[in-house]
Amino acid sequence: MKTITFALAKGRLADRTADLLESCGIGCGDLRTNSRRLIIDDEKNGCRFLLVKPADVPTYVEYGAADLGVAGKDTIMEANYPLYEMLDLGFGKCKLCVAGFPGVREKQVTSAVKRVATKYPNIARRYYRSLGETIEVIKLSGSVELGPLLNLSDEILDIVESGRTLKENGLVVLREVFEISARVVVNRVSLKTKGERINAVIEAMRAKVEGRS
Amino acid sequence: MTQLSMQTPEGVQDYLPLECHNKTRIERKMAQCFHLSGYEQVDLPTFEYLDVFATGVGSVRAEQMIKFVDSRGHILVLRPDLTVPIARMTSTRMKDQKPPIRLYYVANAFMSRDSSPNEQKEFTQAGVELLGVPGPEGDAEVIALAIEALRSAGLEGFSIDVGQVDFFRGVMEEAGLTGPKADELRGYVDRKNMLAIELFMNENGVSPGLRERIMRLPVLYGGEEVLGAASDLTQNARALSAIDTLREVYEYIAAFGLSKYVTFDLGMLHSSDYYTGLIFRGITDYFGSPILSGGRYDTLTADFGCSREATGFAIGVKRVLIALERQGCMEPLPRIDAVVSAAPEKRGEAYAYANALRVNGSRVAVAWKLDADGLEAYAREVDAQAIYFE
Repeated sequence: MKTITFALAKGRLADRTADLLESCGIGCGDLRTNSRRLIIDDEKNGCRFLLVKPADVPTYVEYGAADLGVAGKDTIMEANYPLYEMLDLGFGKCKLCVAGFPGVREKQVTSAVKRVATKYPNIARRYYRSLGETIEVIKLSGSVELGPLLNLSDEILDIVESGRTLKENGLVVLREVFEISARVVVNRVSLKTKGERINAVIEAMRAKVEGRS
Repeated sequence: MTQLSMQTPEGVQDYLPLECHNKTRIERKMAQCFHLSGYEQVDLPTFEYLDVFATGVGSVRAEQMIKFVDSRGHILVLRPDLTVPIARMTSTRMKDQKPPIRLYYVANAFMSRDSSPNEQKEFTQAGVELLGVPGPEGDAEVIALAIEALRSAGLEGFSIDVGQVDFFRGVMEEAGLTGPKADELRGYVDRKNMLAIELFMNENGVSPGLRERIMRLPVLYGGEEVLGAASDLTQNARALSAIDTLREVYEYIAAFGLSKYVTFDLGMLHSSDYYTGLIFRGITDYFGSPILSGGRYDTLTADFGCSREATGFAIGVKRVLIALERQGCMEPLPRIDAVVSAAPEKRGEAYAYANALRVNGSRVAVAWKLDADGLEAYAREVDAQAIYFE
């Protein structure tokens, strides 16, 4: 039996994914106990799990280091690799939004080029290009909301779950750009070379997610 | 401190002797395979006018090409592939040649792309173009040749995944989807993005019956049985004739005894929109991306004023090399058989002797300054035979 390798985003997504896989009979209990191990083998089921940084999941899958992976739609869109995106797991839901202070930029003479602070420079460039707007991307790794507060940027493009952080900092959602949730991505070659096994896993997950089992 | 003078730019590499030996070895084997199948080798310029790649339907997006400007202000590009330049060449310099025309190349191409990290900016392709042989006959010839070329390189455990862009186009006709809408859906189907397809159909009010069928497109892959499933999906003449083409090609391939190498994927649509019919990709367990890509492009040569049916493929040599190493099929460098030296007055004799050995295929190096003992030591070091003329 060919081993199939999963890349899982460390943190909440990995826990939810582990629950789901376990309910499909793929034991990965070690995923939660041995948190320092980077590679976890489930020899009985011929599976191997890699615990990686969320933003790296698409990279492992694109290079074929993992056959499939679970990652947020936001990281998948940012990486923009030619992966097969085969299943929406329905959890890890949030929205990719543009937020800021409405009306402020229009009053600033020197803000002809909109400055956008974001963790997602590629998505930001594509999104604003589709609107025909030229922007200056300011890449931040977290606390993106600080951008408009400190007049570092005019807007932010970020994921919004409850909206609490925005609210507590006086920012408002200006536009909802994309619905985000956890997706299963598959390497293009693996789907063919290990198709039977990968499809069985995906169909089992699909059945659970759609509540048909 | 980084000294640029000590480095190579990102996306290019040095081939040191061991890797270069193995690369050249598989290039020669594949070239020999093309040569023995009646293909003639061609060599084309490394750079061309941008206009060559900008005729109507291009293979590569302009921003991915590496461009520069000549002294007269023309924009030049390092060729991103060989297919388009060969279409240019055959349509101009070879326009009077009677088809079929069979050409092959082993050449470097160049592309700067941010979305495909596996790819070097300079990469070697070994490929063929077959012009003037339409339909399944030509398709089967090049697919079989692709299989033989990979086999001759020593690759095991690979397959050629075959699709047909006309099938998708036919289903789109049937669905009444054209232009940007069809292109959008094509992207989703190519990436097997079920959710995006579903959303697309909600937004575009696709009828339930058709919806069911379009949702099946991304999963139409596997063995020959896929063809039956595909023809059940549509009544569109164009789509059905696409399936007939695939059946006919499969008959050829099965007759050649190569069917174990072939699988089908009707959701595979390729990014190059110059393809007009059957397309294919080579995949292997040992590499995470396709190692070979090809297909039929019957309208491309017409863009250069000489319409000929055409099909072909390009093999990514470096990718095959990586797969071979993972299979454990790297060869060591061949050893030096002998080292030769001589007393000054015997150099002529020694030189002639070394050459005589070389004629018989032995590798002979010289070390004129070494005396008999020195030569003996050097020979031991390189595991060769010492030949000294006193």
